[in-house]
Amino acid sequence: MAEVHVIGQIMGATGFSESSLLCKWGVHTGAAWKLLSGVREGQTQVDTPQIGDMAYWSHPIDLHFATKGLQGWPRLHLQVWSQDSFGRCQLAGYGFCHVPSSPGTHQLDCPTWRPLGSWREQLARAFVGGGPQLLHGDAIYSGADRYRLHTTSGGTVHLELSLLLRHFDRYGVEC
Amino acid sequence: MAAAAPSVFLLMVNGQVESAQFPEYDDLYCKYCFVYGQDWAPTAGLEEGISQITSKSQDARRALVWNFPIDVTFKSTNPYGWPQIVLSVYGPDVFGNDVVRGYGAVHVPLSPGRHKKTIPMFVPESTSKLQKFTSWFMGRRPEYTDPKVVAQGEGREGGNTEAVIPKAAWICLPAWLTLSFCPQ
Repeated sequence: MAEVHVIGQIMGATGFSESSLLCKWGVHTGAAWKLLSGVREGQTQVDTPQIGDMAYWSHPIDLHFATKGLQGWPRLHLQVWSQDSFGRCQLAGYGFCHVPSSPGTHQLDCPTWRPLGSWREQLARAFVGGGPQLLHGDAIYSGADRYRLHTTSGGTVHLELSLLLRHFDRYGVEC
Repeated sequence: MAAAAPSVFLLMVNGQVESAQFPEYDDLYCKYCFVYGQDWAPTAGLEEGISQITSKSQDARRALVWNFPIDVTFKSTNPYGWPQIVLSVYGPDVFGNDVVRGYGAVHVPLSPGRHKKTIPMFVPESTSKLQKFTSWFMGRRPEYTDPKVVAQGEGREGGNTEAVIPKAAWICLPAWLTLSFCPQ
């Protein structure tokens, strides 16, 4: 079986209008992939930027996959939430990016979006907070039913991921 | 390619903690340690260290220079659990006690060659206003009993009972630590 190591960090996020951000992340893979070590999902701490607008998490990611096929190459999906002083969380953006497929260290910028809702919901979100959220997380990384959504853009999440690939040449895959 | 027996590989890390920029604090020292998975073990060199105390330079950079060497070799059979270096920076407060000024962690680079990494530093912050006032008044900031928790992914959501303060949100200091690595 071919193996993939994903080692890196979710560094932080910029461009969000809210401060005090946290990120929930997860990795989705196809059926041929098996996670040998590491945690498939997690949540960062809440970070409040002191200077500038970049919120830093430096959240480590260390995953070891074994696979029998290329289909379903891992995708990292992210949800950025902001926390107010009362401890309530409000959605700031959804985003996803594919884990790179060439070995080496990569800097990734993942743009985010959030559902907009009707003008009443937008007004309520501005005053009271809350706002529409996705019921099922798979719309974040799949394109199937996206045409139903009307969204607005959020900020960008920055990641640095390093890839190590093993035994792919046994299966005739060049990388 | 070897068949079933796991093969051992070595990772040699040479480098230094170069300098830091902490606009609000002076007279700082840093400690480093490594966090790694179960398949890893250090074979040579020191896996922990404490640097000297340094003061800010007088020029426009206002940098705190340590130039503190890091020299360690690991051996492993599995890239999972790749070592991370955890840095904690401490300095005196108004009363002269050593308080933590920042924690940061980064993976040792995966490719051979020279790398320069600048890492942001965090300080845990109490979420309750009473605790913030008490810590300001007593001069004791929330601190992690084991700095290695900074390198872990789980338990960051705020319910970390290992820390001195049970619930901590982190604020990011506008501080930068520059490291140079030469892993082989």
